[in-house]
Amino acid sequence: MATETGGEQRSEDAGFGRVSRVRGRVFQYLTFGASLFGIVSLAVLLGYVIWDAAGLNTAGPAWYALALATVVAPGAAFVQYARRRPQVKSAAIELFAIIVGGVLTGFALVVVLAVIAGAERWFVYFLTTALPLAAVYLYSRTAEVGWGGLALLGVTIGGPLLGSLLMEPVSAVGAYIGSPAIFYLSVLVPTALLVRSLVDDRLGLGQGNNAALAVLLLPVLAIPVVDTVPLVDRSVWVIFAATLITPVGLVLWKNLSDSRRRAGLVGPLVLILGLGALAIVPDMLNVAGPSPWFDWQYLSSSPSQTAERAGLYPAIIGSVFMIVLVALLTLVLGVGSALYLEEYAPSSGPMGAVTRLIRINISNLAGVPSVVYGILGLAVFANTLGLGFGTVVTAAFTLSLLILPIVIIASREAIRAVPDSMRDASYGMGATRWQTIRNVVMPRAIPGILTGTILALGRAIGETAPLIMIGVATTKFSPPSGLFGKMTAMPMQVYTWASYPSAAFQHGVVAAGVVTLLIVLLTMNSVAVVVRNRIEQGDY
Amino acid sequence: MANNDQRMTGTEEETDAEKLITTDVTASLSREQTARTEESTPVIEARDVDVYYGTEQAIDSVSLDIPEGRVTAMIGPSGCGKSTFLRSINRMNDLIDAATVEGELQLRGKNVYDEDVDPVALRRRVGMVFQKPNPFPKSVYENVAYGLEIQGKDGDYDEIVEQSLRRAALWDEVKDKLDESGLDLSGGQQQRLCIARAIAVDPEVILMDEPASALDPIATSKIEDLIAELAEDYTVVIVTHNMQQAARISDKTAVFLTGGVLAEFDDTAQIFENPASQEVEDYISGKFG
Repeated sequence: MATETGGEQRSEDAGFGRVSRVRGRVFQYLTFGASLFGIVSLAVLLGYVIWDAAGLNTAGPAWYALALATVVAPGAAFVQYARRRPQVKSAAIELFAIIVGGVLTGFALVVVLAVIAGAERWFVYFLTTALPLAAVYLYSRTAEVGWGGLALLGVTIGGPLLGSLLMEPVSAVGAYIGSPAIFYLSVLVPTALLVRSLVDDRLGLGQGNNAALAVLLLPVLAIPVVDTVPLVDRSVWVIFAATLITPVGLVLWKNLSDSRRRAGLVGPLVLILGLGALAIVPDMLNVAGPSPWFDWQYLSSSPSQTAERAGLYPAIIGSVFMIVLVALLTLVLGVGSALYLEEYAPSSGPMGAVTRLIRINISNLAGVPSVVYGILGLAVFANTLGLGFGTVVTAAFTLSLLILPIVIIASREAIRAVPDSMRDASYGMGATRWQTIRNVVMPRAIPGILTGTILALGRAIGETAPLIMIGVATTKFSPPSGLFGKMTAMPMQVYTWASYPSAAFQHGVVAAGVVTLLIVLLTMNSVAVVVRNRIEQGDY
Repeated sequence: MANNDQRMTGTEEETDAEKLITTDVTASLSREQTARTEESTPVIEARDVDVYYGTEQAIDSVSLDIPEGRVTAMIGPSGCGKSTFLRSINRMNDLIDAATVEGELQLRGKNVYDEDVDPVALRRRVGMVFQKPNPFPKSVYENVAYGLEIQGKDGDYDEIVEQSLRRAALWDEVKDKLDESGLDLSGGQQQRLCIARAIAVDPEVILMDEPASALDPIATSKIEDLIAELAEDYTVVIVTHNMQQAARISDKTAVFLTGGVLAEFDDTAQIFENPASQEVEDYISGKFG
């Protein structure tokens, strides 16, 4: 883009003359300036929010000195050390990512399975849906049977139905064995099986059976210790044993057995020890530390009139509950309609005109303001269908409508990006349309579809206007009781707090709410990114 | 599906490489080729076939008989409809909404455009190799086994995959990398992989749409050798933009001229040595096209 012609300016000495690049250069620096401006202003904004949420304004110089000594300096020293040692760096990043990912996944599982679904209900659907799905999938993969896909579809539809029918007796069984045992069976046992195959096949460490046995036994043996720890009950312990402790153990084992990577484990260790020291030492020395708004109390308690006791718990649960439903609905409906529009719908003749009309209108719908969807949700879901004002299901339906056009457009683009030569090859082999979609189109389109869906879900979780329209409460003191329970969402609660007169609310509590929202969003996105990368790796 | 019309016309450019191989067309005709054409039963019979894209006529009343176990070449200038005709045989044109086919196109006496013919079942009997090598982004093995899997065929897949790769003269080059991506092969290897994929399901007829036009001379000559071998077991119909190639490998040649008209259809030797019409002679001698 930087080659503008200016062939007229011929210099005397060189025989070739010169071509002017002035306009190209100017354009290049303009684009650079624009991106720099965007990134810097975003960074300033985020820094400001994090500063407020962490309450760093109360910290004195002595605390900063301590932070420098315990966290920043050792961290920087390690980064300097690892810079020229790729093995060390990759081991450190691996352990760090596993710890962060394990914590976030653990919280996500606790929220979705233990709080939103409830252990007993989860137990029912685990037995009727998740377990048969896994069994059919594994069996059809090893035995290469033709009915695998159909059976998966049948279980996906029939499992939840059967679960609803058997809810009473099976959940009674679940209640009898207790929620720690339920999570032991449904989370830790599958993890142990996964560990066995990972250790034996992927990592080649040997002793897969022993590793699996350790995963199954050690958490049980540790229960007496866990019982003495406040805040952690046995269910939470079992889930975190699966999502955090097992993967960390695996990474430690794998990297410790490799002498070149061993040093990498020091990095995260130094960071954790430093942070621990920073939490304890200032109190002992009577140094004024930060007074964070974003802490455990904030995440686990209900809203309050006093800033110090205010919490976001009901709103977090409400938002996560809602967004899980929205994700399921939009993925099924959005990908379905995109596939129909791209692969099945006629593109010529009178029906072709209808198809074109639908396509154009979906593009237009993506630009409709969210308030309009709010009114639609109020009229259709809350009033006509009687799903209730401000309930989880009404909110999920309304927000699904809001982001469906975006998901459909992104999915269509991803499907259209699959080259026609691939489809030709498949049809030329005598494949049916379904076989072509399943074997050729979808595997290549899924990464793009997921990217679009992530962006759309990010928009949905931050919406307030449609939620206000359908009567979602601005403040609630308990999480939604179920699909038809009244809810509130994080942006609603944050918005309410922002209008409180006290500075503690306007700065501290609101900033902590924004940080929570961002962390939930980040967790959601990372799950999608991990899924997408796994699919892309499977592709050649 | 988008861009249907784009892939129809394609890029019918002749590679310099192909021109280099031989310039004297008649010299490359072998005596064996002329002898083979004598006894033959038609496997495909076209009777007054017209193909339209919307209102535009791409094929104008074409009638010809394609003999069994022979290589039949279709040549002609760009845009003359030879690829369109080829795609009509296995009803790949059905995938384009605007395309309509009239007339009779019979495979072993059965009009493939009859109501009761399932185009998917038809394509399982009539395989196809495309102009641009288009292996799937899967492993070499999965590429060859793809047809077996979607058609639910029985048998030892390992055995069939090996046989197909051997027949496509690719086995020795890929036997150690069956698990690697088909896209990591060179262009010529990819095209032979596509041929292996097509013959793995044992079709009756193999349609080839300029299979060598995107390849270098060495890869081209390998493909040509392969086609000659395939003709021992299969009926091969090949569209080519390269007259020398048609002369080298085909037993019968159909010359299409602009407007989708079949100008001449005869034994290859006859076409190249003694064409009946002046137009065909002009085309073959390079005066246009």
